[in-house]
Amino acid sequence: MKRFLETGNFAITEGAILAGCRFFCGYPITPATELAEAMSKRLPQEGGVYLQAEDECAAMHLCIGASLGGMKSMTATSGPGFILYADPYGWALGCEMPLVVVNSGRVGPVSGITGAPGQGEFYLTRYPTQGGNFECITLAPNSAQEAMAMVVEAFYLSERFRMPITVLVDQLITDGFEDITVPESEEEMRQMGFKTWPRAFCAGPDFYPFTDDLDIPPVQMGSGAGGMCSDWTPTVEGYDIEEVDAHHKHAYRLIYKVRNHRDMFNHLYEKKFMDDDPELVVVSYGTPSRVVNTAVDQARARGLKVGALRLINLWPFPDEHFARKAKYLAVELNWDGQLVREVQRAATKDAEVHFLGSCGDLPTIPDLLENFEKLLKNQPLTRKGWELEAW
Amino acid sequence: MKDRLEIVASGFGGQGVVRLGQVLGEAAVKEGLRVTMLKSHGTEMRGGYVRSQVVLSPKTIDSPMCENPDFFVALSSAAYNRFKDTVPQEGLILFDPAFVEEIDAKLPCAQRELPAKQLALDNFGRVIFSNSIALGAMARLLEGQLKKEGILESLLEIIPKFHQENRDAFEIGYNYMN
Repeated sequence: MKRFLETGNFAITEGAILAGCRFFCGYPITPATELAEAMSKRLPQEGGVYLQAEDECAAMHLCIGASLGGMKSMTATSGPGFILYADPYGWALGCEMPLVVVNSGRVGPVSGITGAPGQGEFYLTRYPTQGGNFECITLAPNSAQEAMAMVVEAFYLSERFRMPITVLVDQLITDGFEDITVPESEEEMRQMGFKTWPRAFCAGPDFYPFTDDLDIPPVQMGSGAGGMCSDWTPTVEGYDIEEVDAHHKHAYRLIYKVRNHRDMFNHLYEKKFMDDDPELVVVSYGTPSRVVNTAVDQARARGLKVGALRLINLWPFPDEHFARKAKYLAVELNWDGQLVREVQRAATKDAEVHFLGSCGDLPTIPDLLENFEKLLKNQPLTRKGWELEAW
Repeated sequence: MKDRLEIVASGFGGQGVVRLGQVLGEAAVKEGLRVTMLKSHGTEMRGGYVRSQVVLSPKTIDSPMCENPDFFVALSSAAYNRFKDTVPQEGLILFDPAFVEEIDAKLPCAQRELPAKQLALDNFGRVIFSNSIALGAMARLLEGQLKKEGILESLLEIIPKFHQENRDAFEIGYNYMN
């Protein structure tokens, strides 16, 4: 294994290469530009192809094209580009094309602030396209090292589920430097828990089964098997159709192949001090969770019964973690509260759910500790002059 | 090595704020330490606001934020004023008087002047070497925490040109902190 001081963009690039990615197409955007740059350098060394598209919509379409041609492919962007993936994301979901999409969150809405982190696309990664009738899988690592691991995992899941997978990171992960360990052999990859899944091809005659089965290989264009892969509703055989019965089968597959195989990703979370019925459970994902971890350590040292739950798999949302009667505090990098809404939906009726937001800067430890104490004393939360009880 | 050592550098884009953190971080990786370095910046690459926050530890680093930096390298008045109050009593601010015009004498921490820009002009006729001078000064201040040779080695790896000048600049900064 080799150790580097490098950025998350580097870690994600190396993770993708290890997973077998040989095609990258994107449109540069801070804080994911260096990812495209690193791919443009690394892919030719590995016999792969790097392309810069005219815009994000074209970039993801080109990735789907590469996937239809039999290559493992990836694209990367930030929020303003992720929204432009809406059209091709739907196509990839509907035609079940494996693909990895990296979104590095910065401050929004729209172009917002480029060089500062935000978490504004929590729900957008659940609904990255229109029309409904699908489930999505989103993985949200909290460090450069874990981003490498989760990109490898995303490629693995994308092949097995035959669908695009989003890796949601933020500016601090992609732009930030960290000591990163890169495996140099398959043996070292196994030691680090990296799993890969080879690309296989649909031999037909059907395009998709009317079941929730995994490990159905994707179509390869020109191989004489499978579907038309258009953006219309496909029949099981892969022809375009506009009939409700056929749509029902297709929707069943897109929804239940994910819902019925949650064991593939629902182990992706981290718990801290959760075994002694903490009065307050702090819920977070991505880089804020690292500050939360330190703050929770310090809270415990002060005798406060606080626990931390960090989600890595965001979608489908892991409702099973919110069955206990406790106070929940969602800590997020936005002011509007997104994760907190999902926590409130998932939590038991007699749980209390609170929100603490910041954007562009991580929350500070004293700020977190002060708010933990307030909640444990049943006092309302305030921050920057905003009353946040009624988020 | 302390359990957690925090170093903040902040100034304008183009001064080498990110490079400075990167060199120290790389030296720490060579010693087997865990490292995080956050960089925040505006849209402009040159002239805009830049900050890097480096955390070094023998253990896994949770929060990558420098809330109470042991060292703060201030390379603009705006940066000085924005972060001076985060430095605790046992911490130290290293500032370049060419960029930080007014010093807050009431701060509880130590403050040391390093005229890196002037030293670079006097010795090399070019401002560009002031960053290596600052790194030399940091190598002196970090004695006992990070090895001087490791920092110099990382500097020469990361900045591939003008090795002799950068070595000399590094020594000038190191000796200035006597």
